[in-house]
Amino acid sequence: MKLNSKIPEGKLEEKWRNYQVKSQLINPANKKKLNIIVVGSGLSGAGAASTLAELGYDVQCFCYQDSARRAHSVAAQGGINAAKNYQHDGDSVYRMFYDTLKGGDFRSREANTYRLAELSAPLIDHFVQQGVPFAREYGGTLVNRSFGGVQVQRTFYARGQTGQQLLLAAYSQLYKMVRAKKVAMFPRSEMLDLVVIDGKAKGIIVRDLVTGKLKRFAADAVVLATGGYSRVFRLSTLAIGCNGSALWKAHKKGALFGAPSFTQIHPTALPQSSEAQSKLTLMSESLRNDGRIWVPTKKADSRKANDIPEQERDYYLERRYPSFGNLAPRDIASRAAKERIDAGFGVGRLKNAVYLDFKHPIQTFGLETVKDRYGNLFKMYKKITGIDAYKEPMQISPAAHFSMGGLWVDYELMTTIPGLYAIGECNFSDHGANRLGANSLLQASIDGYFILPNTINNYLASEIKTDHPTTDHPEFDKAEKETKAYIDKVLAINGTKTVDHFHRELGKVMWQECAMSRNKLGLEKAIFQIKRIKNQFWKEVKVTGDDKEMNTELEKALRVADFIELGILMCTDALEREESCGAHFREEFQTKEGEAVRIDEEYSYVSAWEYDKGDFKLHKEALKFEFVKPSVRSYK
Amino acid sequence: MKITFKIWRQNSPKHKGAIKNYEVEGLTEDMSFLEALDHLNELLVLKNEKVIAFEYDCREGICGQCGVFINGRAHGPHDNITTCQLHMRSFNDGDTIVVEPWRATSFPIIKDLVVDRSAFDRIIEQGAYISSKTGTAPEANAIPVPKAISDRAMDAAACIGCGACVATCKNASAALFTSAKINHLNSLPQGKAEEHKRVAEMTYQMEAEGFGNCTFTGACEVECPESISIINIAEMNARRIKSNLLGS
Amino acid sequence: MFFKKSIIALTGLFLCVFLVVHLSANCILLLPEDIARDAYNSYSTTLRESSFIKIIAYILYVSIIVHALYALLITLKNRKAKPQKYVLNHSKENSAWASKNMGILGTLILIFIIIHLANFWARIKLGLGEEVGMDAFGHKDVYEVTYSLFQNIYFVLFYTLISIPLALHLHHGLKSAFKTLGFYHKKGLQIIAKIALIYAVIMGVGFGIIPIIVYLK
Repeated sequence: MKLNSKIPEGKLEEKWRNYQVKSQLINPANKKKLNIIVVGSGLSGAGAASTLAELGYDVQCFCYQDSARRAHSVAAQGGINAAKNYQHDGDSVYRMFYDTLKGGDFRSREANTYRLAELSAPLIDHFVQQGVPFAREYGGTLVNRSFGGVQVQRTFYARGQTGQQLLLAAYSQLYKMVRAKKVAMFPRSEMLDLVVIDGKAKGIIVRDLVTGKLKRFAADAVVLATGGYSRVFRLSTLAIGCNGSALWKAHKKGALFGAPSFTQIHPTALPQSSEAQSKLTLMSESLRNDGRIWVPTKKADSRKANDIPEQERDYYLERRYPSFGNLAPRDIASRAAKERIDAGFGVGRLKNAVYLDFKHPIQTFGLETVKDRYGNLFKMYKKITGIDAYKEPMQISPAAHFSMGGLWVDYELMTTIPGLYAIGECNFSDHGANRLGANSLLQASIDGYFILPNTINNYLASEIKTDHPTTDHPEFDKAEKETKAYIDKVLAINGTKTVDHFHRELGKVMWQECAMSRNKLGLEKAIFQIKRIKNQFWKEVKVTGDDKEMNTELEKALRVADFIELGILMCTDALEREESCGAHFREEFQTKEGEAVRIDEEYSYVSAWEYDKGDFKLHKEALKFEFVKPSVRSYK
Repeated sequence: MKITFKIWRQNSPKHKGAIKNYEVEGLTEDMSFLEALDHLNELLVLKNEKVIAFEYDCREGICGQCGVFINGRAHGPHDNITTCQLHMRSFNDGDTIVVEPWRATSFPIIKDLVVDRSAFDRIIEQGAYISSKTGTAPEANAIPVPKAISDRAMDAAACIGCGACVATCKNASAALFTSAKINHLNSLPQGKAEEHKRVAEMTYQMEAEGFGNCTFTGACEVECPESISIINIAEMNARRIKSNLLGS
Repeated sequence: MFFKKSIIALTGLFLCVFLVVHLSANCILLLPEDIARDAYNSYSTTLRESSFIKIIAYILYVSIIVHALYALLITLKNRKAKPQKYVLNHSKENSAWASKNMGILGTLILIFIIIHLANFWARIKLGLGEEVGMDAFGHKDVYEVTYSLFQNIYFVLFYTLISIPLALHLHHGLKSAFKTLGFYHKKGLQIIAKIALIYAVIMGVGFGIIPIIVYLK
C-alpha cells in the first residue's frame, strides 16, 4: 500500500489556501442529498456535525453518553492555544507552528502542523461569537496565559473549565441544527462496526444502549470523532466510557493505524491511592505556570512537606531544565517525575507522587490572585483528597492521558478507507510524538469546524454520482450478523472472572512496559502477556444479563476486548521504533544524562499499521522537512 | 469497611421498582462512592446476578453524567459536589447507604439508577445558542466584554447539566438549569440579538416538558455541584417579564 | 404558569402591605380601654364609610381568593412533576421547612381567615349572628366584639397560635416574591431577606400577642 498524504503544493503558508482553491465544491441543492454519519459528539464531532449541517448536508450524529454534552472534551481544563499575539510577546503563526512541531519531536507533518497554527486565530473568533465566556481583562479584551513547552502567552481559557465551555458551545450549535432538522442526534448509541461497500465506508452498525437493539445506518461518508484510547492503560485521565472500539473496528476493516504507541503521560494527575481506583484525576497543567514541583533531597523522607526546609527540597525540573523549568513539556516533566519516584524520592503514602507547591506564588502574588487563577482546581483537589492545597503542597503523579496516535489520515483527514474520516484525538495528525498543552482542544475544534467541512466535498463530489447506499445491502447484513455473533460469543463464555479483572491486568502490563519508558525486552514480554490475557479473556470472562437490555457490563466487555487487541498493536509499534522521540522513550536510546536520543536517519517516518488477520503489517510514511530542520529538542 | 447498600432496582420503565439490600465488605475509605458501586457490581457478576445500572463518565465532576440520590440527598451528604466526587471516607464502617435514582416525571427511569434527562437537551434545543454559522465570526477582540460581565456569564455557564437541581427540588423544577443557560447567553453582547426569543422559547419548553415551578426553597443551589446561585432564577424571571413586554 | 406565579407574588405583596395596616390598627387595642374603645370604633367606622377603602376591600377579597386559587393550581402542577417521593429524603439539610410547606401554611391561614371573617366581618358587615351594639358616639362597638371574643381562651389560643404559621408563611413569601418578580440584585436580595425576617417576626409577634393582652386586660 502506498501512503499518499496529499500535501498540497506551494510554500508552507500557501498550502491550505492552495488546497482550498483546487478542492472540488458541491452546490447547495446537491448537498441536501448527501448524508454523513458522525460518530462522537465531542468538540470535533459536534463541531463537524453542526458545521456540515449548516453547509446543507444531512447529518446523523452518535454518542454513547446520555447527551452530547458529556463528551470527554468537557474535561479539558487549562485552555486552547491560538496565535493571536494579543499579548504582544512575539508570537506568530510560524512560531506556534514551530513550537508544535518541536514539541512533537519532529514526528508530524509540517503542512498539517502549520495549518493547525494558521487556523487557530479564527477559531478563537468563532468561539467568542458562540458565547464562550473566555477570561477577560477589566477593559474587556481577552486574557492569555502560558502553557508547557512554550515561551509566549497564547493560551485562552475559561477558568479551569475551558474544555467544558468550548464543548457546550459546540453542543449548543449542534442542537441548533437538531432543531433545524439537519442533524439527527442518537445518544446512548455505540458504534460496533463499520460497513464498507466496494472499498468505501458507507455506514455503521450501532448498538442502542437502552434496548440493546442493533441498528444499521447508511451514509455517503462516515466521520469518526471518537477521541482517545488511553483507557487501554485502565487508569488514565479519561472518562470511564472512553474507548477505542470504533477505531479498532475501522482498523480491522482496513484503516491503517498511525503511531499507536504515541501516548502522552500527563505529569500533573492525582496519584493512585488504591487497587480499586477507576481513574486518575487530572489537575490542569496550568498549575505549573505558578506552582513549583519538588521532591525531598533525602530518600524516603517521611517528614511532612511543610517541615522540609527549603535547602532540602529538590526542584528537579528547574534544576534540569533551567530555561523552561516547571514549564517543560509534558513528556519531559512526566519522565523527570518518574525518574525521581523510581530513584526513591517519591512522596505520599505510596511514595508514588511529587509535590506541586504554591507556597512561593502565594507569597509573591497573594492568596487572592492564586485563588482567582486556580480556585476551582484547588477546590477540586480538596474534594477528592480532603487536603487544603493553599496550606500544604499538592501531591501529583504522572498518568496516561492523550493518544497522539490514531487512525492514519492524509491532509484531508481521510483514512486509508475512502469515505472514512477521522478527526480530533482519534486520528494521528498534528501532534507528532508529543502534544503540547492546550493544543488538543485546538486540534479537535479545527478538524471539526474548519478542515473537514472543507475537505469532505472533495470526496463527496464524486460520490454524488454513485447510488446512495441502503441498509439492505448484503454488506450490512453481514456486518450486523457478525456483530451479533460477536456479542453472543462474549455472553456465552460465562467464565469466572469479571471484565474489570482483565482490564486491570491489561492496564498493569501496559503501564509497566508501554508508558513513560520502554525497552525491547519489556515490550516483547508485554506482547506475550497481553496475548495470554486475550486468551484468558475469551475463555474466562463472565458477563451477566443479556444483550436485549441496557447492560453496562456487556458494554465494558466489548470495549475491553478491543483494548486488549489494541494493546498488542501499541507494544508492537513501540518495539519497532528503535529511537526515543517525544513521549516514546526507549531506554536503549538515551544520553548519559537521561535525555532522549532521536534517530532521524532511520525513524523520520509515521508508522502506519495494517491489520492482517490478527497480525500487523508496517507501512511507512516518510516525513519530509522542507521548511524546518529537525533539531535536537532541548528545553535546557 | 463494611457497608449495607439499599439500592433501587427497576428492570425497565415498565417494571415496578423496589429497594434491594446488599451487604458489601472490603471497601476502603480511599474509594470513591462510584468505585464502591463498581466493586459491588463485580461481586454481583461473580454471583451470577445482573449488575446495577448506574451512570458515570468522566469521574472528575465535570461531565454531569453521574448522579443519584444518596442517603436522602442529591449527590450524597455533602453540599455542591457530584456523585463521583463523593468518597467512602464520608461514611463510617457499618453504615447503611440508601441509593435511589433522580425522581421527576420529566426524568423517567430507564433502568435501576439510570434516568432519561433528554428533556434538558430539548430545552437547550429551543434557543440555547447564538445563531452564527461557523466562519461568520468577527475578530474576537472587536467586541470587548467587561470582566465583570464575562465573569458572571461564566458563573452561570458552569452548569454541568447533571439534573441535581431537578432531583432535589420538591417541585422537580428545572428553573436553575434553564436560568443558568439563559443568563449565560443573554448577558453577553453576542447573545443579545436573540435574547427575548431565547427566554420565551426556552422557558416555554421547560414548562412543556412537565417540570414544576420554582418556589425558591433554595435546595437546588445547595446541591448544585457548580454552586450556581438561585439568584439566576430571579434574573431569568426578570428576563421573562422583559421578554413578555418587549419581545415580539 | 409563570403568569400565575407572578400573580401569587403580587397578591402576596399586596396582602403583606395590608397586614401592616391591619396590625397598626390592631395596636389601638393595646391602649387603655377608655381611649381604645373610642379610637377603635371610630377607626372602623371610617373604614366602613370610605368608598376608597371599599375598593381596596374588594381588591383584598379578590387577592386572597386568587392567591389561594393559583397557589392550589400551581401546587397541583408541581405535584404532578414529582409524583414519586424518595424513600429517604433529608431535605431539611438543604432547605427550610417553611419554604417547602407554603401550601400547608397557606391552608392554615386560609382556615383562619374564614373563621376570622365569621367572627368579625359576618357580624359587623353582614349582620349575621348576635347583633353588634353601639358605643357612646353611635359607632358600631367593634371594640366590644373584639374584647368579648378574646375573653374566650380557645379563641385567644387559636389566634395566637395561628400567628406562627403566618410568620413562617410571610417570611418565605416576602423573600421569594421579589425573586419571582425578577428582582435579582444580590445585595438587594440580602437586604430583602433581612427585612422579610424582621417583618415576619413583627407580624407574628404583633398578631400573636394582641389577643393575649386583650384577654388579660
